[in-house]
Amino acid sequence: MTLCYEDIEVGTPIPTLVKPPIKREQLVKYAGASGDFNPLHYDDEFAEKAGLGVIAQGMLIMGFVAQAICNWIPQKNLRYFKARFVGMTRPNDSITVSGNVVRKTDKENGGVITCEIAAKDQNSEVKISGLFEAVLPKRGGRK
Amino acid sequence: MNTETGSHLIGKEIATYSTRVDASKIREMALAIGDPSPLHLDPDAAKKEGYPDIIAGPTFGVCLKLWGGFDFHGICKVLQINPFKVLHGQQEYEYFGEIIPGDTISITTSVENIVEKAGKKENMKIITLADEFVNQKGEKVLIGKSTIIERMSSNP
Repeated sequence: MTLCYEDIEVGTPIPTLVKPPIKREQLVKYAGASGDFNPLHYDDEFAEKAGLGVIAQGMLIMGFVAQAICNWIPQKNLRYFKARFVGMTRPNDSITVSGNVVRKTDKENGGVITCEIAAKDQNSEVKISGLFEAVLPKRGGRK
Repeated sequence: MNTETGSHLIGKEIATYSTRVDASKIREMALAIGDPSPLHLDPDAAKKEGYPDIIAGPTFGVCLKLWGGFDFHGICKVLQINPFKVLHGQQEYEYFGEIIPGDTISITTSVENIVEKAGKKENMKIITLADEFVNQKGEKVLIGKSTIIERMSSNP
């Protein structure tokens, strides 16, 4: 069933996505996939020298958030997506993505929903504070 | 005016490059994220949803950029920032169309702004880069905006 603009209210929650704990293997896989070879994400010596220890790629966590968004709305409806990397994610952290609709904007051929979305770890510490906008069709009028 | 802060780069295009989109790279990104959506893996499933082929995920721009020719060490060099001190502060994307296998995407990266700011623990240089992604048909499919932070306390 297609999700329509009328189905959504301000406050409607985005279905929560629970990701398995992040293993080092995933950081290495993501480095290879994305091309982000900043040693901060896999090299202990470098990461200690940087004063941080190994942390996950922010873009990997943004990928988790994108997964949660597109589990809920079709990707072709996504227009805008912003992630602020507010906390560092470490190996073995477990990320949960959740959010809700904060605004609806009526348009002639559909409507735009604006949603806040966040990625948090097992201690509810925020890693990403995000926002996205999507266009949804209206019931009756085909997009 | 000041080469040390890099402020002479503001408003300048610092890189243009192009790259071809491979189905295997789209799959690899989805698998690395652990996203099982068939839209990134299975052409038939994607076609059933009305897409012409599997589609790149919403964060695929990073892969186009970094594998396309503007990698981490290249970025550090052009922006004259210390690789030990770099963090990704924020990422924004605006979506205009799908990116699918076989596309050739041309990317233009420019420096939108560079500012220095006093932080709680250390000073920071905040660099905003804008990336425009255009496909082989001349269609703008994606705009990216990255905020990169260089922590500016004493060197390691």
